Amino acid sequence: MNRLSKSGYLLFLPAAFFFSIFYYWPLLVNVVLSFFSWNMVSSKIKFVGISNYTDIVQTAEFYSVIVNTVLFVLFLLIFNFVLPYIYSYILAYVLKYGKNLYKVFFFMPSLFSLSVASILFLWIYNPLAGPIDAILQIFGLDSPRWLKEPILVIFSISMIIAWKVFGYNFILMLAAMMSVSKEMIEAARLEGASDWVILRKIIIPQTSSSAIYVFVITVVFGLQYVMIPVNILTQGGPNQGSANLVYVIYQYAFVFYQVGKSAAYAVLTMLLFVIFAWWRNKVLDKKVYYEN
Amino acid sequence: MKINLKKELIGHIILIVSLLICLWPIVFLVSASLKDLNQIFQYPLNPLPENPTLSNYFTVLDRFPIFQFTGNTFFIAITVTIFKIITSLLAGFGFVYYRFKGRELLFNSMVLTFFIPMSVLIMPNYLLISSLGLLDTPYGVILVEIVDGMGIYLMRQTMRSIPKSIYECAILEGASPLYILWHIILPLVRPSVISISIMFFINAWNEYFWPLLILKSKTEYTLALALPMFISAEGGSEWGLAMALAVLTSILPFILFIICQKYILNTFIQSGVKG
Repeated sequence: MNRLSKSGYLLFLPAAFFFSIFYYWPLLVNVVLSFFSWNMVSSKIKFVGISNYTDIVQTAEFYSVIVNTVLFVLFLLIFNFVLPYIYSYILAYVLKYGKNLYKVFFFMPSLFSLSVASILFLWIYNPLAGPIDAILQIFGLDSPRWLKEPILVIFSISMIIAWKVFGYNFILMLAAMMSVSKEMIEAARLEGASDWVILRKIIIPQTSSSAIYVFVITVVFGLQYVMIPVNILTQGGPNQGSANLVYVIYQYAFVFYQVGKSAAYAVLTMLLFVIFAWWRNKVLDKKVYYEN
Repeated sequence: MKINLKKELIGHIILIVSLLICLWPIVFLVSASLKDLNQIFQYPLNPLPENPTLSNYFTVLDRFPIFQFTGNTFFIAITVTIFKIITSLLAGFGFVYYRFKGRELLFNSMVLTFFIPMSVLIMPNYLLISSLGLLDTPYGVILVEIVDGMGIYLMRQTMRSIPKSIYECAILEGASPLYILWHIILPLVRPSVISISIMFFINAWNEYFWPLLILKSKTEYTLALALPMFISAEGGSEWGLAMALAVLTSILPFILFIICQKYILNTFIQSGVKG
């Protein structure tokens, strides 16, 4: 349209400035600090080469953190990607009535702060008197200690995130499902295609870019959201059983005061996310629909 | 589409049951905030409080500087929203209005920040804010949140849908870019700008982690930070009070959503879905 003039640069300047300072500069700082040993407060800072990385990789903690992260991602994908996908298909193609109403109500939990959600679920999970315990007692069962057992704690915390995020992902997926060409589906119906064939050959391909987007935000944001209930409810426990890649970065810096290791974890995490973002971008370039 | 009664029925049953599961914690939250502690413990499943009481709310208001927390939260949320909208509007407009080498690269480098996990950034940003002497001030929280990759993406997406001829007419008239943005484009995209603002506001209102690191003294606390103060180590907590504060924390986002739900949902749907 227009060639960029000198004053045109000014439009980008504020955004570019703050992105550089608070998004790109920190990435650089992490890389540098990951080669040093420092406790954040003292003036003593020592160059240690790559030993932060080698130390991390040699601990058992590193592997349990990776396993926990994978478990979190799996639970989140089931509740915030697979379920919204199925539900939006049901609402868009099986049901005729109530679309708007479901949309509004399913979205409601997304409005809550995760701080509120954490406290609310802490009570819901209360193994002695909480509502889930009350339900289980009707069937004569004892409530497990939702936040104190390994693995179960990951499920319990994922459920808090699932509760908040489900509705948001659901309306994104629903919009994609609704935008699939109606003519195409009608034409396929006339040709005698079954629902299953229509789903596989028309709906899944046509909603794939949205599905990939929802997949990516489920993983990326899910892991970031997880930090909040973990910090409020378990502090990474029991015995680091709910610590994950995103949380240990915080822990090493602000709880253990080992800045170098925190930075090393941050660099490793960032690498994983870069791969993820690159993949998303590649898919986007191919699939996205441009108006111009 | 023909209605298949059996399918319709099964579908609705699945959705309604799931919806009840989703909404149950909300109902529970409100009803517990209206119960006294005895009732909370004795009848955790009863959604209707016997003798509903506002005493939890009065106690919370009495014991904690709720108005100050609310004021702090509001100040941070509104300032963050205004700055995010300004930076996103300017950059989003620039990406639509100008064509130049490296445009896509610049655009991607801004939008992809949306996918950088916050926890990777917090320690370096904390050091920076601390060296600027902004720890324990709302400005320390705000400064880091002046830009938003998703905001720029959404703004560009919205402005792209404006017909090119409108831009061309304005340019022929000799209008400057800022004039075009302010007087011609902004009125056209106002609904999207409003709903993006609401989205920013709700997110900033609800934020927990970054304020937690920056704000140390209780007088600076936001509502989301104040809430976890209620839980003591072993959960011997005052649940009624916690639930009352949780309701107070959540009420504003809810009102905003109910007033503008159509706008908000549509913005997500129109713009968010394609990315």
